[in-house]
Amino acid sequence: MILDIRTYLEELKVELKGMDVALVQDALSDAEEFLTTAVQDALESQPGSAEAGVLGGIIDRYGAPSEVAAAYKETESRFPRLPLSSRPSKSKKGLSGYFGVISDLKAWGAFLYMVLSLLTGSIYFGWALMGGSISAMSLILIIGIPITSLFLLSIRGIALLEGGLVEALLGTRMPRKPLFVTPNLGWIDKIKALLAESVTWKSLLYMIVQLPLGYIYFFVSAGLLLFSLSFISAPVLELVIHKPLEIWRGDAFTPVWLLPVVSAAGFFLLALTLHLAKWVGKVQGRWAKYMLVRK
Amino acid sequence: MTEAVDANKKFQKELNSGTAALVLLSILDVAGKPMYGYQIAKLIEAKRPDLPMMKQGAFYPVLRSLETGGLLESYVKPSVAGPPRRYYRITHEGREALAKWVEIWDLTKVFVDDFLKG
Repeated sequence: MILDIRTYLEELKVELKGMDVALVQDALSDAEEFLTTAVQDALESQPGSAEAGVLGGIIDRYGAPSEVAAAYKETESRFPRLPLSSRPSKSKKGLSGYFGVISDLKAWGAFLYMVLSLLTGSIYFGWALMGGSISAMSLILIIGIPITSLFLLSIRGIALLEGGLVEALLGTRMPRKPLFVTPNLGWIDKIKALLAESVTWKSLLYMIVQLPLGYIYFFVSAGLLLFSLSFISAPVLELVIHKPLEIWRGDAFTPVWLLPVVSAAGFFLLALTLHLAKWVGKVQGRWAKYMLVRK
Repeated sequence: MTEAVDANKKFQKELNSGTAALVLLSILDVAGKPMYGYQIAKLIEAKRPDLPMMKQGAFYPVLRSLETGGLLESYVKPSVAGPPRRYYRITHEGREALAKWVEIWDLTKVFVDDFLKG
């Protein structure tokens, strides 16, 4: 007999053991949303009753932890999560496999992530630095506690947004919404829980590290793309627009016979860039999951 | 006896696996406004309290899979009293899929009924 929502969530967590950590978090927040709202509704319509009294009927309709866990497991196995960017690409071997990456949405998604990370990395870093310093300075006053808590809460919010970006572009499964601290806790306990959870601090660290990473990602990806595109378009640039490629010394034009080779090298470099983006995306996805998802 | 109950449960579960998605899409299409899981469950319960086809907790993973497939989209809105709620609404692709699914459902009904009526 389950007498409170917290126990239900704990039992559900046990039932989901071994499943993807993000799926577990989704299932827990779905259950928390439903049970909390249902209990509130029941208590309003039956004044004087207690949570323990109404919860039994609600769980009966919602499903026992084992039933709900089974539903998540079954749905996940029937409709595996395949965001646009993680649809499996047909694996081909040889040259067509190497160049096939150019039409691979997952690789372009990862490439876009790398380009965007200059912007997101700067925003995250700016926010972490500004919020961190204001919180540190205000901590000598009593108002520092709510300011610091709000700042840390915002870090968790940004972590969720970054999770969305990572899932959409890199295809790594991330939770859709955070697991909120148990609603029955008072404000002081909520702050304590926020401070005690390692994911809060890991998210903060992630945001700081995203700045240098963002710079590296942006300049490597944008630079490689620029080189690839100018090589690919070398014949047009030199023969039609009459603009030297400027890869040789001075303003020398590329010998005409070499132009197809340069153009082909451009395609080769473009594919290489996308292979690199895909690999970076995979590693970044794992890193984001490790740092931003609550265990 | 238990085996028969198990078989019934299994049959019901297999049917639900497809129909739940159809029902949820249809509810969100008719509603014309975003709804969160509890609201949807209450609506189903209010409409057919006599037919508890599946546990309300089983709707959530279906909503999530429909979102993954691009047939629904969602956003989180804070609530005053409890944890934030995830609101779902149907997408353009969702409406197209629904129209097709209704056709399939109608055909399935006719097909099955033909045999049941002998």
